[in-house]
Amino acid sequence: MIDAGKNKLPTGLFAEDKINSNESEGAFNEFIDDKLKDLVENIINEGDLTSFGERDSDIIVETDDINPPRFSYGGGEGGEGGGKGSDGPGEGSERIRFSLPFDRLMELMAEKLRLPNLIKEGQGKIKEVSYEFKTFGTAGVILDKKRTFRRALKSNIGTGDYNPDEDKYDLLIRRKDRRYKLPERVEKPKFKAVCFYMGDISYSTYGERLELEKRIVGFIHNWLNYNYGKHNVEHRFFVHDSEAHEVMEDDFFKVTNAGGTRASIVFDLVSRVAFNEYDPETTNFYGFYFGDGELFSNDAEEIGEILNKDLFPIFNRIGIVEVKPSSISNLVERLRERYADDNVIRLDRVDNKKEIIKAIKNLFGEKQYA
Amino acid sequence: MRNIKTDPELKFLESRVLHHADIFKRTLPEMRFFILDQQEFSSLLMKNVYPVSPVNIWEGKEMVNTRHRIETGQESSLYYEVVQTGRPSYAYLNETNNAMTQASVMAHVVGHCEFSELNVMHDSNNDRTEWVIYLTGKVNMARNQMGHMNYQTFWNACESVKSLISPNSQFNLENSIDTETSMAKAETKSEEDKSLLDSIPFSSTLENILHKNKKSKEMLLKREQLRQAKSETLSRRGYKLRAPCQDILGFLREYSPTSQAEKHILEYMYAVNCTQDFVVRTQIMNEGWAMYWEKKIMTELFKEKACTGIVEYSKVASGVMYPRPYFQRNPYHLGYYMWEHIEELFKDGKVSLDYVEEIDQHKKNTWKKDSNIEPIDCMTHLVQSCTDYEFLRRFLTAELVEKFHLNRIDKRMAQQLGLKADDVVREDRRYVWIDPEPIKGEMLNFFVHLHRPRIYIVDVDYMDGGLLLFHRDDGRPLRKDWIKPTLKNINLIWKGSVCLLTKETLYTYTAGSFNELRAAAPTFDVVVERMQNGEKPFRAK
Repeated sequence: MIDAGKNKLPTGLFAEDKINSNESEGAFNEFIDDKLKDLVENIINEGDLTSFGERDSDIIVETDDINPPRFSYGGGEGGEGGGKGSDGPGEGSERIRFSLPFDRLMELMAEKLRLPNLIKEGQGKIKEVSYEFKTFGTAGVILDKKRTFRRALKSNIGTGDYNPDEDKYDLLIRRKDRRYKLPERVEKPKFKAVCFYMGDISYSTYGERLELEKRIVGFIHNWLNYNYGKHNVEHRFFVHDSEAHEVMEDDFFKVTNAGGTRASIVFDLVSRVAFNEYDPETTNFYGFYFGDGELFSNDAEEIGEILNKDLFPIFNRIGIVEVKPSSISNLVERLRERYADDNVIRLDRVDNKKEIIKAIKNLFGEKQYA
Repeated sequence: MRNIKTDPELKFLESRVLHHADIFKRTLPEMRFFILDQQEFSSLLMKNVYPVSPVNIWEGKEMVNTRHRIETGQESSLYYEVVQTGRPSYAYLNETNNAMTQASVMAHVVGHCEFSELNVMHDSNNDRTEWVIYLTGKVNMARNQMGHMNYQTFWNACESVKSLISPNSQFNLENSIDTETSMAKAETKSEEDKSLLDSIPFSSTLENILHKNKKSKEMLLKREQLRQAKSETLSRRGYKLRAPCQDILGFLREYSPTSQAEKHILEYMYAVNCTQDFVVRTQIMNEGWAMYWEKKIMTELFKEKACTGIVEYSKVASGVMYPRPYFQRNPYHLGYYMWEHIEELFKDGKVSLDYVEEIDQHKKNTWKKDSNIEPIDCMTHLVQSCTDYEFLRRFLTAELVEKFHLNRIDKRMAQQLGLKADDVVREDRRYVWIDPEPIKGEMLNFFVHLHRPRIYIVDVDYMDGGLLLFHRDDGRPLRKDWIKPTLKNINLIWKGSVCLLTKETLYTYTAGSFNELRAAAPTFDVVVERMQNGEKPFRAK
C-alpha cells in the first residue's frame, strides 16, 4: 500500500472546491471532433437536417463506444477490426450517446459549409450594459468580507494582537483593512434581428414539399439564432394565396388553400410590417420566401419593384426559394434576370433533399451560385 | 462541495452516528463527511472517488455519457454512499437526499471504514486521498512538461495496463522480484534463522537423512552458478525476476525506463487502482458488514428519534438487499444475511468442534449452547482474518444458497441463458430454481480469476531486453483484436519489444511491427519451475 510518507501534502483540503470534470470533458470533445465532423459531413452529404433535433436544443450524438484496449476475454475475433486507435483507444461493440451543444454543431456546420458569419448592423445603437466586480479598493459600498478578513488577519498577526500560541484571539478590523468591491461598467454591443418567413399556401404543401420547406426554415431559424443569440431574433411567419396574412409558426406549415396566387402582396405586407414596427437603424432584417413559383400575370414584376424600392435598402438578406418547382414555375427565373449576382437577394430552386445544402449555401454564402 | 459542518442537521446526525459507533466499540479512523451536488457526485465517481484527477478523455467520455443518461432519465443521479477509506476516510453525501437517507449513509460508511481498518488485506493506509491529490498535481505538471499530445498518448497507454494490477497476488512484486534491498533483507533474515537454529538441538544424522544429496558436488556447483547469475543480473539491472509477476502495472511503475513525468502518470494510475483488488476480493464481507452496522445504528437512531422515516428506510433497505441469482451476486444482500447467519451460529455455539462432531441430527438441529464468547468479537475476528473466498468457503452451504435465493432465476433470464429443462429442479410462474449444490463451487471459482485473464511477466530479457507476458490458459481465448493495440501500448511504456504468449500463439510487438507466430506454450507450472531453476521460461523455436 502507498503511504504519503514525508511528502508535503496540501493543507486546507476541499475548503471551497468544486468537483468537476470540465477539463476532461473538454479533452474528450476535442478527441471526438473527427467523429463530429463525420456527422456534419453526413448531414451535408445526405442533406438530412433532421439530426438537428429540436430547434436551438442540443443534439444527441450516438456513436461507437471507445475504450482503451486491454487483455480481455471474448469477442472481436475479426482481426484488425476494433482496437486500431494509434494513440491507444480501441472501439468497443457498445454505443455511447451524448448531447452536443447546439452552438458547437452550428459552428461545425458553418465551418463545413464555409458560411461566413452574418454581418450584424446596428451595433453602437444598442448596448448591453452590465457591471462586473473585478477590482477592489479601499473605499466603496460593497464590502468584500473575505479580502477584508484576510487583510485584518495579516495585520493582527503583524501587530501581535492575534497569536494563538499565546492564547490571543482578538481580531481587530481597522478601516485600512477594509476592501470594497468596485463595479466596472462593461458594455457589449447588442444585435437585434427579425426574420420574415413567407409561404405560398395555395400550392400543395404536403409530403416531400412540406418536409423540404420545414428543413430549410429550421436551418434558417437555427442559423440566425446562433449568429445573433436566441433572444435577439424575432421570427415572424406570413402566408399568402390571393391575400396575405401573418400566422403563428405552427400554422405556417399547416394552412393550405386551393386558389389563385399573388405573391407580391406578401412582400408588400412584410415591407409594411418592417417599416412600421421596427427601427431600420437598429434592426437587421431577413426575409425568405417559399413557394412553387407558379405566378400569374405581372406578379414577378411587382415583387421586383417591392424588392427594389422597399426591401433592398434595409434588408440584410432576402431569399426566394422555389420548392419542387414545376415546368410553369417562373418566379426565380424572372427575378434572376435582375438579381443574378446580387449580394442581398438570393434565389434558388430545391427539388429534393440533397439540394437543401446547396440552397443554404446559396442563401447564406458569400456569393450566389447559378 | 461543502463540509458537513455547514449543515447543522447533518452535523447532529453525524455526531449521533459516531456516538452509537463508539457505544458499539467500533474501530474507526477519522471520518470526514462532505456534501456534494448531483453534478459533483457524478464527477467524483468518474475520478475513482477522489476529488481531483488529471485530465483524461476517459473521464470526459464517462461524464458526457452519464450526464446524457441522467438528463434523459435512463440513470438516477441519486448515489447513496461513496467513501474513500483510509486514514482519514472521506465520505460524500448527496445533497438531494433527505436527512434519514444521509444518516443511513453515514452509518453505512462506519461499516466500510472499520472493515478497511481491520481487514486481513490491510486496505487502510495513511493520507490516501491526500496522496492522490499530490500525485494529481505532479501529473498535471507532467502534462505541461510532456506536451498535451505526448501526455494523452502515454496516459492512454497506461489505461491498457491498469487492470493488470495485483498487489495482493501470490505473484505480486514482492514475491516475484529480487532486488538488492530484498536480497539484503533475506540475508539478514537467514542469518537470524541460523542463530535461531543454533539455539535448538541439532542432529547431523537426521540432517543427513533428510538432505542426503545436499552436499553433492553437482548440487553445490549448480547452486553457486545460480547465485552468481543472480548477483550478475542484480548488479547489471538492479532487479531479477525470480517468479512470474502478476502485478504488471506495479512492475512497469518500478522498472520501466520512463522519464520523471511518465513515472508520475504510472504512479498515479497505480495509486488510484491498487485498491480495486481489495474491493473485489472482499466485496461480499465488506458490503455485508456495512449493511449490518447501518441497520444496527439506524435502529438506535430511530429509537432515540434522532431521525424519522423508519418505513421509508425499510423500503430502501429491502430494495438494496434484493436477492439476485449467484452469478449476479448482490453483495449487500448476500453479505448482510451471511453476517446475520454467522452471528446466529456464534450465539448458538455452533462454531465449535462439539457441534461439528455431533452425529445426532436432531441434537444438531436443536443445538443451543451458551458460550462465553461475544458473537460480535468472533465476527470481528473473521473480518481480521479472511477474505470473501474463505468467508464463503467456510460458511456458505447448499441450504443457505436455497435460503438466500442464489439459485433462483427469473424465467426470462433463464431463457436468455439457455438453461435446459434438466437443470431446473423446480419452478413457479415467475422463477426457476436450479440445483444449489454446485453453486458454492462456482462462486468460489470467481476468486481464482476475478473474471479477468491472468497475465504474468515471465521474462524481462526476452528478445534482447523485451518483456515476455504469459497468459495462463483457462480455456478461454483472449479478445484477439485488442492484443495488438494493447501490446503496442505496453511497448510505449516499456520502450522495448513486448511479447505475449497465449495458448499456441506468440504475439510480438517490436519496433513498430506486430507478428503472430505459432508456438508451443508451456504450462504455467512448467514456467514457474523453469524460472525457479534459473532457466528461460520460454524459447521460441
